[in-house]
Amino acid sequence: MPMSQVNKVNCKIGGPAGSGVATMGALFAKCLQQCGLYVVGTNDYPSLIKGGHNTYKIRAAPFPITAIVGQYDLLLALDKLTVQLHASELSEGGAIIYDSNKIKDAAAIAARSDIHLVGMPLTQMAAAAGGEIMFNSVALGAAMGLMQMDFDIIRTMMQKIWARKGQKVVDANIAAALAGHQASKSALQQQFKVKIEFIKRPKTVFMNGNEASVAGAIKAGCKFVAEYPMSPSSSILHLMAGHEWDYGIIVKQTEDEIAAANMICGAAFAGVRAMTATSGGGFSLMVEALGLMGISETPCVIFESQRCGPSTGLPTYTEQADLQFVLHASQGEFPRVVIAPGDPLECFVEAINAFNIAEMVQTPVIVLLDKFLSETSLTLENLQSIPVKIIRGKLQSDEEMQKASSFKRYQFTPDGISPRCIPGQQNGLHVCSSYEHDETGYTSEAPDMRVAMINKRAKKLEAIPQELIAPSFHGAGENEADVLAVCWGSTKMPMLEALKLLAEEGKKVRAMHIRYASPFPSKAVAGALSSFKKSIIFEGNSEAQMRSLIFEKTGHFIQKAYLRYDGRPFKPEEIASAIKREFYG
Amino acid sequence: MASVSDFNSPHNITWCPGCGDFGILVALKGAFAKLGLSPHNVVVVSGIGCGGKIPHFIRTYGFEGIHGRALPAATGIHLANHELTVVAIGGDGDGCGIGLGHFMHAMRRNLDITYIIQDNEIYGLTVGQASPTTKKGVITKSTPHGTPEDPINPPLVALAAGATFVARGFSGDIPHLTDLIAKGIAHRGVAFIDVFQPCVTWRKDLPYELYQKKIYKLEEVGHDPSDWQAAVKRAIETERWPIGIFYQVQKPIYTDQIPFIKDKPLVKHDISNIDISKYLEEFM
Repeated sequence: MPMSQVNKVNCKIGGPAGSGVATMGALFAKCLQQCGLYVVGTNDYPSLIKGGHNTYKIRAAPFPITAIVGQYDLLLALDKLTVQLHASELSEGGAIIYDSNKIKDAAAIAARSDIHLVGMPLTQMAAAAGGEIMFNSVALGAAMGLMQMDFDIIRTMMQKIWARKGQKVVDANIAAALAGHQASKSALQQQFKVKIEFIKRPKTVFMNGNEASVAGAIKAGCKFVAEYPMSPSSSILHLMAGHEWDYGIIVKQTEDEIAAANMICGAAFAGVRAMTATSGGGFSLMVEALGLMGISETPCVIFESQRCGPSTGLPTYTEQADLQFVLHASQGEFPRVVIAPGDPLECFVEAINAFNIAEMVQTPVIVLLDKFLSETSLTLENLQSIPVKIIRGKLQSDEEMQKASSFKRYQFTPDGISPRCIPGQQNGLHVCSSYEHDETGYTSEAPDMRVAMINKRAKKLEAIPQELIAPSFHGAGENEADVLAVCWGSTKMPMLEALKLLAEEGKKVRAMHIRYASPFPSKAVAGALSSFKKSIIFEGNSEAQMRSLIFEKTGHFIQKAYLRYDGRPFKPEEIASAIKREFYG
Repeated sequence: MASVSDFNSPHNITWCPGCGDFGILVALKGAFAKLGLSPHNVVVVSGIGCGGKIPHFIRTYGFEGIHGRALPAATGIHLANHELTVVAIGGDGDGCGIGLGHFMHAMRRNLDITYIIQDNEIYGLTVGQASPTTKKGVITKSTPHGTPEDPINPPLVALAAGATFVARGFSGDIPHLTDLIAKGIAHRGVAFIDVFQPCVTWRKDLPYELYQKKIYKLEEVGHDPSDWQAAVKRAIETERWPIGIFYQVQKPIYTDQIPFIKDKPLVKHDISNIDISKYLEEFM
């Protein structure tokens, strides 16, 4: 019998779209978190509403984790296909929970003698509890029962999450889960290898990249959201709309992304913190307005959650291939900020930074997410203890404007950043213009004014502190490491777990995670690269776009690139073995 | 209280002599003065084109955005601070070509803003191509064999989209246009005003005299502006060209549905220390 495994588990839930895979997955993950564990939850689904094959993957551990590593211990099969596809991914002593009335030949399909087949009449049990549709709640109850989790945890969580659906729904689901929980006790001859024991810890939150970005945006004082739905950014629209009245945020679903971008430009000009969110296709439509924000020096924040392109591409799968696009989108030249957070915590922090920087330097800020980050949840601790400052830059107060004389909205200043006033304030009349203009905002096509204005705008990014944009380093220390592994954006999550795997094998690898693509932390990146003979970059695109950017900005060319562009995120094991293959042969 | 001259811009106006935009500019300033508005509480929003330059030629806050997108920008400005007077203005190409989608959506939202189309049935600044309101068969640089399509009818579009104030004016009748614009701004809800505006450079076949001959005033023929069907009938007339208010109705406006800006506009909300614990609670 395999060793018992306390407070460490990997689970996968699989089923057709519409069977509640994501809902059950998130619920399960939150229950594990309630036990005091750190949890990772991530999903995989095709672009359709009903049918297809969806999965939700969970890892829980008593220490901080950022990605799923290793085999699965538990498989909740909400259909036969799940058994077919995933039985082979189970660890020795693992278990499959499935509907024994619907899948009669589970043993034959799974073809594994080293795992437990926990067949129960899930649908029949659900019907007895109030409705067949709750068969997934029965499965969840059974899973928790197998791991000896206290039923009160699931009871409390269902009550909390589904309260708005009405007590009848809550009670029926609790009854269904309880049936599963009780049945699990007699399901196995011996104890299941995984046991979850309650650890008392301060309250944590379980959030994905989009949810944490919204938390940051609300905290930053975002007051206006204009958005057109597009996967994988749409949940930002839903979350914002759901909290519109709680936080006094006007949330406008627009006729298209062009309207969204122009609306936030208008709202930001009028003085509120404004944002939109989209994916690459929608961002393509926003590009002309991006230039408007640039030339008119209007502080706007755009969240771009990348999915596989070009065009419709793979709508529900991940990619990091929009980096060079967002860096260069629009005709002409103007400063822009591009931030690629690496995990949900960084989404929260960088969302706040994005709004501050936008107003500090009066230019558009793009927060580059991707499907993997947007929809991967991690346990986050102490969000409330992160110090937050609202920095509005050179925005003038009403009092200052009352005293102002000969105010020039685009005044030349040493740092290129001009005082900014908003409509409704006295003594500040000006035109916020898409045309090139003079210091007052009036159209100018004079050659010297054109050069002066280009230079003025370009200078502004220097006002962003270097320490804010610096890359982060992880794993082995600078002096002891053999290899520098470079990554950016969401690849941070599997990279951190890969470093643990490598360290377990005595391999000293250091990782550099780049968050700011513009302004680029050239000095820090060049410094790190020059102190390593061996380096490799990991990117979710086929052209090694960050490698090109690093070369452009530092002159360092990273010889080895490990690229993944099949729509799936990197796995920690894959990163670790790529590094071992390349450098530890 | 501000007078017309308070809205005079110090800049030289770069429109062609005789351009219909002059009449619209004078009427716009007159309407602002008539309503007792202060320049710093007004935002004139435009797209691109000859008419798009208007924010520079009037002394208020201005937003000269990108082609066809005046209305989304105006929407954002209005929602950020609904105490401002927001007037979006643009040409027929801006509003009925590239920006037609925004035109319809802005009308159905019943935002408390005013939208004026400077309708000269031609693309002027790009030196004379057919526009969406150019009538069928007209020869322009881009339609040497005559425009192959029937035109867009802006007041009809506004009526179809649910606008609560639909009017048409003529840049050659400034007192009448001033009054229309003032009524449009005073209207609680979205106000759309199509303005016949001769282009003296590219549409010499559409001179002031022709407009003067063809137009008549709705208020002089007993038109009932509360009757939507009558408004549609007037809007589709082709032999004679009605000006005045086609349709006006009172309906709740967009911002009436937003409880948290009843006491103060969005821009005045304090953002210095927002408590997100309620939001976080959902993820615990």
